[in-house]
Amino acid sequence: MCLAIPGKILKINGQLAKVDFQGVQKEINISLVDVKIGEHVMVHAGFAIEKMDRDYVNEMEGYLKA
Amino acid sequence: MKELIQKINAIAKEISRPVSLMEVCGTHTQVISRYGIREILPKNVKLITGPGCPVCVTAQRDIDAVVNLATAGIPVATYGDAMRVPGYFGSLDNAREKGAQVFDVYSVEEAMTLKEKYPELVFFGLGFETTAPMTAWGIQNGLTVYCAHKFFLPAMEALLKMGELKVDGFIDPGHVSVVIGKRPYEKLKIPQVITGFSSQDVLEGILMLLGQIKNNDLEVLNQYIGLVKDGGNLKIQKIIDEVFKEADGEWRGFGMIPNSGMQIRKKYAAFDARIKYKKILDGVDFSHSKDPAGCKCGDVVRGLMESKACPLFGKVCTPDNPVGPCMVSVEGGCNVSYRYDRM
Amino acid sequence: MKNIDNITLDMGGGGAKSSEIISEIRGILKVKGKWKNTQDDSATFDLGKEKLVFTSDAFIVDPLFFPGGDIGKIAMSGTINDLSVMGARPIGVSLSIVMEEGFPISDLKKIIMSINKVSEMAGVPIVTGDTKVTEKGKIDKIEITTSGVGLATKVISNSGAKVGDVIISSGDLGEHTVTILAQRFNYQPKIQSDCKPLNKEIEKVGKFLNACKDPTRGGLAANIIEIAQKSKVKVVLDEKTLPYKKETVAVTDLLGIDIFSLASEGRFIASVSKEHSQKVLKILKKFNPEAKIIGTAEKGNGVYVKTELGSLRRVEMPRGKLVPRIC
Repeated sequence: MCLAIPGKILKINGQLAKVDFQGVQKEINISLVDVKIGEHVMVHAGFAIEKMDRDYVNEMEGYLKA
Repeated sequence: MKELIQKINAIAKEISRPVSLMEVCGTHTQVISRYGIREILPKNVKLITGPGCPVCVTAQRDIDAVVNLATAGIPVATYGDAMRVPGYFGSLDNAREKGAQVFDVYSVEEAMTLKEKYPELVFFGLGFETTAPMTAWGIQNGLTVYCAHKFFLPAMEALLKMGELKVDGFIDPGHVSVVIGKRPYEKLKIPQVITGFSSQDVLEGILMLLGQIKNNDLEVLNQYIGLVKDGGNLKIQKIIDEVFKEADGEWRGFGMIPNSGMQIRKKYAAFDARIKYKKILDGVDFSHSKDPAGCKCGDVVRGLMESKACPLFGKVCTPDNPVGPCMVSVEGGCNVSYRYDRM
Repeated sequence: MKNIDNITLDMGGGGAKSSEIISEIRGILKVKGKWKNTQDDSATFDLGKEKLVFTSDAFIVDPLFFPGGDIGKIAMSGTINDLSVMGARPIGVSLSIVMEEGFPISDLKKIIMSINKVSEMAGVPIVTGDTKVTEKGKIDKIEITTSGVGLATKVISNSGAKVGDVIISSGDLGEHTVTILAQRFNYQPKIQSDCKPLNKEIEKVGKFLNACKDPTRGGLAANIIEIAQKSKVKVVLDEKTLPYKKETVAVTDLLGIDIFSLASEGRFIASVSKEHSQKVLKILKKFNPEAKIIGTAEKGNGVYVKTELGSLRRVEMPRGKLVPRIC
């Protein structure tokens, strides 16, 4: 699943984080990245694999709304 | 977007000679067909599908091995598409129909949950640097794995070395690049652009490649800049290295590619299904584990043949009754071509 | 049906394989009678002034209870809707239940109460039924079969779409499947199943509809393809006005599932002449503000989506079961 949609970290609980994707929430494993609450991540098969740049998130969200 | 297409047209006109670009990621293949990108490109720019569909390049031998584990009574879990690839002994789906315990999962964590109920569970791990870290995490947390994971770059190198194919540039895979970063590609000495997955991303990637070709540059450019860092994701590189070591890897279409396979390190031998279930696997007759007769998947993943040119395409081989894996996976060249290109 | 000895899961998925097994079954059944529309959501029988409309459906749902509904609500709504999309006023429904021993009576009561609620809402009674119990493990908890009859003065078939028509969706689609998938994969979306009876809204607009279907199994893809094929028109959907919520898009993107194959259990799509389209839309918006025009019927064949790049992409019949994919 390579389609990236920005997921925003809402809560962190050890290796797991609650992440919001366009209104859908899901527990995601964040052990492969260094992230804080409020930051955005790209998720692949249940794991966050990279933190997204703020500018990039804005651009993607604009794109999804359009 | 229109502006982008105009720019591509203009630069292609300047280059004037025919140019072949290879997209090596299965999701790029999908996006390109989904948005009809081939049709809107100038005539002298050709896109070729490469070996980026993990299910498609998985060797028949590995499929036959996990199907035999399942029919021998070992519960097997894997990702959706891998269930349907037909091997000599049938597919994992066929094994389930006959009563074997086979589960499709979306994530390794789901496999971990299944393991609580089925302690003998084997996870069939396949894919490149994007799915290998999750499998590595699973192994570190006690999941037994039949590992068919692969490093992606050696396949690109092999393609260039084989020299059967003339490629002017690569559209590099977005998420493999998230993991390995930009630098490892530099040794290929060919124009490349690490590219994202929206239709706009792909068009931008193509434009950046054409720009390099026009100027005779041999660079690795990064279009997916919001996500891909030059050095990649170090945490992921570390976990892959902790759990796997480089070994020869068998690819459909390529055969053995040196140092392309991920082998579970000795330290984790207890979770290596190839060792744990050696007795079952040693009893399997792999002499038939070859590509199905007439199937050209091997040529398709090497970009030597367009799916539609395969004599089985759309006749004997369809998404409902696939002969080879390129027709199974939704990002396999044949499956994508069947769904989108038969106008 | 080459090289296949046993039933496979995709034969129940509403896609290409389902059609194959159904024609295999039909091929064995020889007696035809005077029934018409036997390939539609319901079959019809001419009574002179009116037509008798008859349908039957079996329901298995996992999980049995989900946000926005349960197996009972789906079983009752599904049959009412199959009658309604044919232009019929449902007059009675039968209810047959098979349960395994050990199934909690409290769950059964919950299911029956929700059937009753739909029955009251739609004004359609349960008039007959049957109950069977199997040994534990012989079936998965509970299966429900409902059949229904209705009366229609004008039958709306799925073959009546005309060149120049617009395609209307009675609301956003796919929320039923998304809700079920969310349960299975532990997502928490802010949407719930769209399951509900449609008879009241279709009654209000039925006379203007040239073709109508409820996009349950097989989703928008299978159902719009069926309308296009049987009506001999080409349908072009506009990517900019696809009837899906952002949460639905998010779940399908995350799981790598084709959005067009998601089922709805309380929505319909219809082909309507341009002339009547605004009137129909105005009425439908009273029931669901998300009702909208999603495409047009043109000369030709096939179903396409006009992409953001202006190219046309073919919409394919869903294949196999809904499995998430990885890279």
